Amino acid sequence: MELPAVRERLAGIVGERYVLSRPSELLVYNSDGLPGYRRQPKLAVFPATRDETVAVIRTLAAQNLSFVPRGAGTGLSGGALADDIVVVGLHRLKQIISVDVENRRAKVEPGVVNLRLNRHVAPHGLFYAPDPSSDAACTIGGNVAENAGGPHCLKYGVTLNHVLAMTVVLPSGEIVELGSDTGERDGYDLRGAFIGSEGCFGLALDVTVKLTPRPQTIRTLLADFLSVDDAARVTSAVIASGIVPAALEFMDGPTIRVVEDSIYAAGYPRDAEAILLIELDGLEAGVDADVAEVKRICLEGRARNVKVARDDVERLKLWQGRKKAFGAMGRLAPHLIVQDAVIPRTSLPEILETIHSISEKYGVVVCNVFHAGDGNLHPNIAYSADDPAESERVHKAMTEIMKACIAAGGSITGEHGVGLDKMGYMESIFTGPSLNAMCELRGVFDPERRSNPGKVVPSHACKEWHAVASARDPRPLAADPPRPVAR
Amino acid sequence: MSTASVVAAVRDSADRRTPLRIAGRAHWLAAGRPVNARTSLSLADDSGVVDYTPGDLTLTARAGTSLSEIERITAGHGQWLPLDPYGHPDGTIGATIATASAGPLATAFGTPRDLLLGIEFVTGRGDVVRAGGKVVKNVAGFDLSRLLTGSWGTLGVITEVTVRLYARPRSDRTLAVRLAGSERAAADFLGRVEAAPISPFALEVVSASIAKTLGLGDQATCLIRLGGNSAAVDFQLIALSRLGRADEIEPRVWDALRVLEGDADFVIRLSGLPASVRAAAGAMISDSIPGVYTSVNVARGIVRIVVTNPASSSVNALRDAGLSLERPVEGSFVFERLPAEAWKSVSPSVVSDALSQGIKRAYDPFNLLNPGILGD
Repeated sequence: MELPAVRERLAGIVGERYVLSRPSELLVYNSDGLPGYRRQPKLAVFPATRDETVAVIRTLAAQNLSFVPRGAGTGLSGGALADDIVVVGLHRLKQIISVDVENRRAKVEPGVVNLRLNRHVAPHGLFYAPDPSSDAACTIGGNVAENAGGPHCLKYGVTLNHVLAMTVVLPSGEIVELGSDTGERDGYDLRGAFIGSEGCFGLALDVTVKLTPRPQTIRTLLADFLSVDDAARVTSAVIASGIVPAALEFMDGPTIRVVEDSIYAAGYPRDAEAILLIELDGLEAGVDADVAEVKRICLEGRARNVKVARDDVERLKLWQGRKKAFGAMGRLAPHLIVQDAVIPRTSLPEILETIHSISEKYGVVVCNVFHAGDGNLHPNIAYSADDPAESERVHKAMTEIMKACIAAGGSITGEHGVGLDKMGYMESIFTGPSLNAMCELRGVFDPERRSNPGKVVPSHACKEWHAVASARDPRPLAADPPRPVAR
Repeated sequence: MSTASVVAAVRDSADRRTPLRIAGRAHWLAAGRPVNARTSLSLADDSGVVDYTPGDLTLTARAGTSLSEIERITAGHGQWLPLDPYGHPDGTIGATIATASAGPLATAFGTPRDLLLGIEFVTGRGDVVRAGGKVVKNVAGFDLSRLLTGSWGTLGVITEVTVRLYARPRSDRTLAVRLAGSERAAADFLGRVEAAPISPFALEVVSASIAKTLGLGDQATCLIRLGGNSAAVDFQLIALSRLGRADEIEPRVWDALRVLEGDADFVIRLSGLPASVRAAAGAMISDSIPGVYTSVNVARGIVRIVVTNPASSSVNALRDAGLSLERPVEGSFVFERLPAEAWKSVSPSVVSDALSQGIKRAYDPFNLLNPGILGD
């Protein structure tokens, strides 16, 4: 079927207004939160309901067309880019279907914005724990696709730990229920397999999430240091002490100053070379004891000052500076490259030292703002992609940083996903058979590989197995009656 | 035993098309489930901690490492793996992950799915697959760690795992509250506990039969484990004391609870919405079928029923227990252990859907690994 005919059919489902095909209209959808990558989609379609979504997916399936599911487009790995194929935007599916306060769960459509869900359940003393820094814009569907994290995942866990069940439409148009929203089930954890599949397994039509009771007390500490190394060592010491802070965030000098220059100024000390933002929560009595201990660790580790936010206003201001730090980088240069490597937490001091020497070697300014408690680094470099020489240096520096993190026993991505951006590193952390096992899992959900093609696992890593034919038609085993197993 | 020898065993079985029954130490999770295999592949000798940096709070161990060994090693650094599945503590970490078994501590620390960071396994083709890693946050690649957890060895032979550890709490105290009186009174008490400012490590409501065996008297009892720094625990002790008489008992009671059921070959779980399980908990534990142990994990919405009486250890026992469960909770049954002859009558396969079947065909195309253990 030709493009205009497909367009017409999709318009018949969602309405004329909600199918875009002119290049100028599609420009908005040619990148995500990582502006270094651009891919132009062929079409973008925006269903408003579950039925429309299913009809769209079935239409695409009937025409054997590839597509990319997209939430708010805040992703940081190029995962939501559609290279001359169809974007299925889900931001109009934004109903909070139900909230079950007693059982602490909510069922939402994929386009519901993370923060909106949190505001909706706050009056019940509950919250949805995963809190990506983009929570004011990003959607629950996108969070599921990326297995999103956030500062408070240190204590509360990532999206995976908070999703109970999903209704999913597979790329074939078939609808399946994964997980269970009424209790625990036996069987393969298809829910777990789907979360973090980056849109390659299909898309969620609804998501049932766990809600968490709001802690009795929250205390936020700001510790500032005159040396990056001291702050890194204090981070390792806090983690090793066994206290599990709700969040433990690190910002280095360049980041502090860029935030303080911006409209998000949080009152961080401009002359500090590093700050730690440490949040402790729980029962008041216990939190006070932990605050005292964390303070002691910071001061022993040569913190210049440790300040505890007096009230919620001050607390939220401290957080705003952290959450908007990436946005503030926009002041430095038109483009930003962000990494997401994770390292063992005891390696933090050495890795930050390594990053520093790499930045000097290539003459680039690396801003470090990251989830230190998890060992989840976000070194980022502001640069101009229009300057080829600078781009080259930035690219080389980032590659070297990634290699150092891998060598430290780390991972290439903690929460942003592989997408397009980190696909080239997959073979440096996974063996051929491991990548192939991932390809095969994908092949079960999406045999034709039409959903978000060309992402996550490099296609050349997917072997076509000689055994495929026999796998489909396994040789019958000799008849052997079930018998009790010796214990 | 090593990954290489597991590969050799699986390849050999593939060549000869002779399926394998995968076993850890065969202590406790064999579950009486029917496995259509004459040959056993034991991981018991493949044990030992491979990597443990206490400051990272992560540990990598071979699959045959026992939970008690991990407990011993981590305790030396004031840490623990907060997984306390029912059964003998010499059961292996590999079996715990393969069966996704959890115990009372799951209330605060989650199940193996929440604690597993990375995995190495050998597929039914003899390929070594490694997924996840050694860091606490990781979204690189599709999540095969979750997929393998609870797959009962049918997608791959787990050879090594990396798990997240926690610091042992400075204060770890356990209270017993006797639930005298009506079913309603028990539900009321649990409702008040739910609303109280406490966040227990574990909270199990156990039947009078369990309480008696544990030496806690002859009434149904609510066991509450509080952990954390002393200030947090003391605060919670006071909050609980306001709700009624609570006796402090030795935390050892949790170890006793784990092994209480011994070799019982009949264990089922009913899983439902937490609020309905809480409301029905009183009724659940008031039943006095001889030889039946019932415990309720309110937070997870799970009622666990163990039948130890050999006389009722049959298909009839299922009906008896099922009868006593009919009324209050809507939920689904998960069969943990059944007598061999009972499996056929109760177990429509939990992996019969097209996606699960597709995954099984991809990872174990010749159906060599624990065939039949999840039903046919």
